[in-house]
Amino acid sequence: MKQVPLTKPQVIAILINSIIGAGILPMPLFPVRAAGHGAPLVTVLAFVFAYAALACMALLSSRFPKDNFVTLSEKVIGKWPARFFTFVFACYLGMLTAFTSREFGEVVITTVLKSTPLEVTVILMLVLGAVAARSDINTFAYMHMFYVPFVVIPAWLIVFLSLKNAEPLNLLPIWGNESESWLAGIIAVASLTQASFIITLVVPYMQQPEKALRTVSISMLVTGTLYVAIVVACVGVFGPEEIKVLLWPTLELGKITSLPANVLERLDAAFLALWLTSVFTNILSTYFFTVNAFANVFRLKDYRFLTMFLLPFVFVLAMQPRSIVQMYTKIYVIGRIGYLYMVSYTVIVFLIAIMRGIRGRKDGQLLPENG
Amino acid sequence: MTAGANGVISGQLEETVAWFQEELGQNDDLVCRRFQVMGRFPAALFYFFSLIDQQLLNEDILRPLMQPPSEDLKRLCEMKTLKQLLSEDVLPFGSLKFEQQKDKLISFAMRGDTVLFVDGIDEALVFSCRKVEKRNTDQPKTESVIRGPREGFIELIENNLSLLRYRLQSRNFRIKLLEIGQRTKTRVAVCFIEDIANPELVSDVINRLSRVKIDGVVSSGYLEEHIEDNHWSPFPQVQYSERPDKVVASLLEGRVAILADGSPMALLVPAVFSQFYQTVEDYSERFLVVSAIRIARLLALLFSLIFPSLYVAIISFNPELIPTDFAVAVAGGRAGVPFPAVIEILIMEVSMEVLREASIRLPVQIGGALSIVGAIIIGQAAVSAGFASPITVVIVALATIGSFATPAYNAALALRLLRFPIIILAGTFGLFGIVVGLIFIVNHMLSLRSFGVPYLSPFVPPSSGAVRDMILRAPVFLMKKRPESWHPQDDSRIPQSGGGKDQANEAAGRQDGTAAGGEGNGS
Repeated sequence: MKQVPLTKPQVIAILINSIIGAGILPMPLFPVRAAGHGAPLVTVLAFVFAYAALACMALLSSRFPKDNFVTLSEKVIGKWPARFFTFVFACYLGMLTAFTSREFGEVVITTVLKSTPLEVTVILMLVLGAVAARSDINTFAYMHMFYVPFVVIPAWLIVFLSLKNAEPLNLLPIWGNESESWLAGIIAVASLTQASFIITLVVPYMQQPEKALRTVSISMLVTGTLYVAIVVACVGVFGPEEIKVLLWPTLELGKITSLPANVLERLDAAFLALWLTSVFTNILSTYFFTVNAFANVFRLKDYRFLTMFLLPFVFVLAMQPRSIVQMYTKIYVIGRIGYLYMVSYTVIVFLIAIMRGIRGRKDGQLLPENG
Repeated sequence: MTAGANGVISGQLEETVAWFQEELGQNDDLVCRRFQVMGRFPAALFYFFSLIDQQLLNEDILRPLMQPPSEDLKRLCEMKTLKQLLSEDVLPFGSLKFEQQKDKLISFAMRGDTVLFVDGIDEALVFSCRKVEKRNTDQPKTESVIRGPREGFIELIENNLSLLRYRLQSRNFRIKLLEIGQRTKTRVAVCFIEDIANPELVSDVINRLSRVKIDGVVSSGYLEEHIEDNHWSPFPQVQYSERPDKVVASLLEGRVAILADGSPMALLVPAVFSQFYQTVEDYSERFLVVSAIRIARLLALLFSLIFPSLYVAIISFNPELIPTDFAVAVAGGRAGVPFPAVIEILIMEVSMEVLREASIRLPVQIGGALSIVGAIIIGQAAVSAGFASPITVVIVALATIGSFATPAYNAALALRLLRFPIIILAGTFGLFGIVVGLIFIVNHMLSLRSFGVPYLSPFVPPSSGAVRDMILRAPVFLMKKRPESWHPQDDSRIPQSGGGKDQANEAAGRQDGTAAGGEGNGS
């Protein structure tokens, strides 16, 4: 099948779907733990931070329009160090896939399918992602385009429907009362956007790689507004102290909403089912690019077999944590380490590229700066 | 065929007749009529009486040939050869051709042409005076409309092509004839408008058709299976229609139509999903009304796909979703039913499928009886026997009606089939399972292509112009552009200033020597 370059809306859809995932369910917890009433502000700052990191990646990638993350790193820091670091990146994407499926699997068996084994829900999600990840990049982009409304609209619906129960006083003071752990909160929320790092692998498929920064800006704006709105709604409805004892504040927000005219009495199960699309797109993104990254590291031409080959590994990885508590500990630790690893790696590669003065040409050749 | 079929015929009449008799003589409907042309030259006429217009043969071929030559003709005889004389002066017959090749002569005769061998001429004269029994052009049975043309295609390709030419009197309307089928030698016409249809699409269609290896094309459905992109998909990737007006509208959009001789269904490619809930009538009624009707059709599609499974999921897993009063009523109705909701729905759905299948095959006279039996058994008796709850009957009926409301029968079939796995998923995983099933289906549809066009376009990838004719239909005067999905060469429906003539000239300049292959088009 002929491969068509990805358009800007397609890339924006891919990024939005990659950012919004299972992580949104416990998300308000992190800024609230860090800053109490100041949670919305922490979220805003977190997104500013995440945007800066992502913009850095976008700039680096659009500097090498025809190279993906692996090949551009090789050009900047040499073959073997680059392969090592990007191999770690690929593993990290695989881990994200595993933990997203596990996290949502836990949510599902805790709230709706109480007698279904965890393994079944996790494997169902992974198979769903793996089968879809076998498609080519265009179908992959079409999937994201199709599902983006199903991801964004229900989330906004929850926010709007719950706002009638909100108490504005809960949001004051906007700078919060506790200020010692702000940085941790910022990193925690920012690390939820980590799947957006796949922009480094998307850029070479883009129609206009030089527009990478704009796509990143738009998608961060969309998701950032949504996240802040959810935190505002959560804090407004529950208040910070209540949120601290909830496992999935966003889900609880869904529970207290109901449609006018009493059409459906409760919405949480329906929301959760819809939320599956968002988790699916998230898993699809990370899975697709895990395979893509591995294929690039090992220089594989046909990598469709890798999707099925990786499935057992990802599944075992997903079943690693023994309980939901341990799972979240691992997610936090690995998420943050991975996030900081990627951010620092990108910044370093970017700086080296600027200092060595190399940039990629449209045809993939190296080009000396000002040359 | 024997080795004798190769090569060319000689001018020796007896030798040629012997060869022809050997090739086709075993058929008792082959007629060999020997006579003397103009009373002088021995000749033999071969034809299958089952395929020939006997009157035409007598009046226009035999009569002039057998008449003794007039004085004028005798004078001309001196100046011209016999072959020239026959074609230029004797035979008042339009479609006359000369042929030397033996295998071609055989296939002409098989097709219903009349072959004339004259002693001394090393070419045979071939007349097409074919006459095949055909039915009248009448109202299309599968796509009837309230307002709109009443003509439908029939089996004969000549007739169908004339229906198209009559509606599309454009100099750029092209018909390419191919012959497909090792044994049936079916004529297949590829129709398109040269300055609109994307040349890549046209050559793709012709390529795929010429690669078809099959012994017989009995109906256009055989071709469909050979040229579609994904053979394993339940979704139709080729649209069919028996309405000439629909085909013409599609051609004007830049699509390609494929007609096979002997089949009243034209195939239209590429096909995308959104076409399967649109009808021709959508464009002859008020746009506001049509938009509302289209939404109803989409709802019907959704009903037929997920309504039963939604019911199963809500009853078995999430009864808290529906209002309490209703939940109590449903539970009351289900009180005597021994099966879980998923089994109950599956039983009812399967019996509904059986009932529906039975009613299609039955003669009309018995059909009425069947529907009474079906309605009583499915509707009334199943409930009072405690076999199913009343609400299940409602749900199954809604789903069935939903699948009837889909204009395209083949798309409705696909969704009808996919309903079953979703019901099972819903019975196993509840709402979660439904969404998993839907995601699988949508992913599959997103990965489908019909002749390179994404199956879900113009939804994905979205195109700005197509929004006007997707779920809603904009007024015709707003639809100035042809759908982008087909990548038409000329994307504007409305001729630019200067009128259509300029455009036609410009288009004529763009032609790359592909002349109209419209032979056999007059009927």
